[in-house]
Amino acid sequence: YENEYTGKKKYSRDFLLTFSEQCKHLPEGFDIGSDITDILLSVPTGISHVIDQI
Amino acid sequence: ESSTANEGGLAAIQPHPLEHSWTFWFDNPSAKSRQATWGSSIRPIYTFSTVEDFWSLYNNIHHPSNLLVGADFYCFKHKIEPKWEDPVCANGGKWTISCARGKSDTFWLYTLLAMIGEQFDYGDEICGAVVNVRGKQERIALWTKNAGNEASQLSIGRQWKEFLDYKETIGFIFHEDAKKSDRPKNRYTI
Repeated sequence: YENEYTGKKKYSRDFLLTFSEQCKHLPEGFDIGSDITDILLSVPTGISHVIDQI
Repeated sequence: ESSTANEGGLAAIQPHPLEHSWTFWFDNPSAKSRQATWGSSIRPIYTFSTVEDFWSLYNNIHHPSNLLVGADFYCFKHKIEPKWEDPVCANGGKWTISCARGKSDTFWLYTLLAMIGEQFDYGDEICGAVVNVRGKQERIALWTKNAGNEASQLSIGRQWKEFLDYKETIGFIFHEDAKKSDRPKNRYTI
């Protein structure tokens, strides 16, 4: 995906969108501090796997 | 043969590196009201440098329509702080779009994808983007480095509107003007 003229790694929106479904879980070891977890995260930390399986 | 299968499996999960590392920052509205100094409640949340890590976070955080009123959420190039005082931002400015409360999710996502996918011709000029969630509206701003460079700012503004399919006129404000006035004038419009 490297552009042959600029040498930059360019990705179109459509290409990037194809990865959305493959990356459903929070990055490993992700920790933002409990004070803003509820405000920022759409799923509680640690149980995202459980939700997917229901 | 098992080794072939393994190679195929590895290739499938090989992460896609981005041109830059990017950092998400969050300014918590409830903390803001308790603290007097502006900027003291803003903090980095996560830095990513692959397509996969971007989605891993994005898919698990609230999008602007579900954030509390008062929240500011940023995505800036790694090592650039989303503040006027940052040396890279100091001579910069910003383009801003606004929309009704709850309507900025797609604009925000498309802005992020255009930035991290290096879709702007003057991508090197870009510092990052911020979404401000307010009571009546949501605003997204795209911060750039050299406000005085009109040609590159106009190119960025024009391309941004195209990527978002945004039809309204947008304005560009110099940070320098914003520091001096509560109602800074647009230096460029497009």
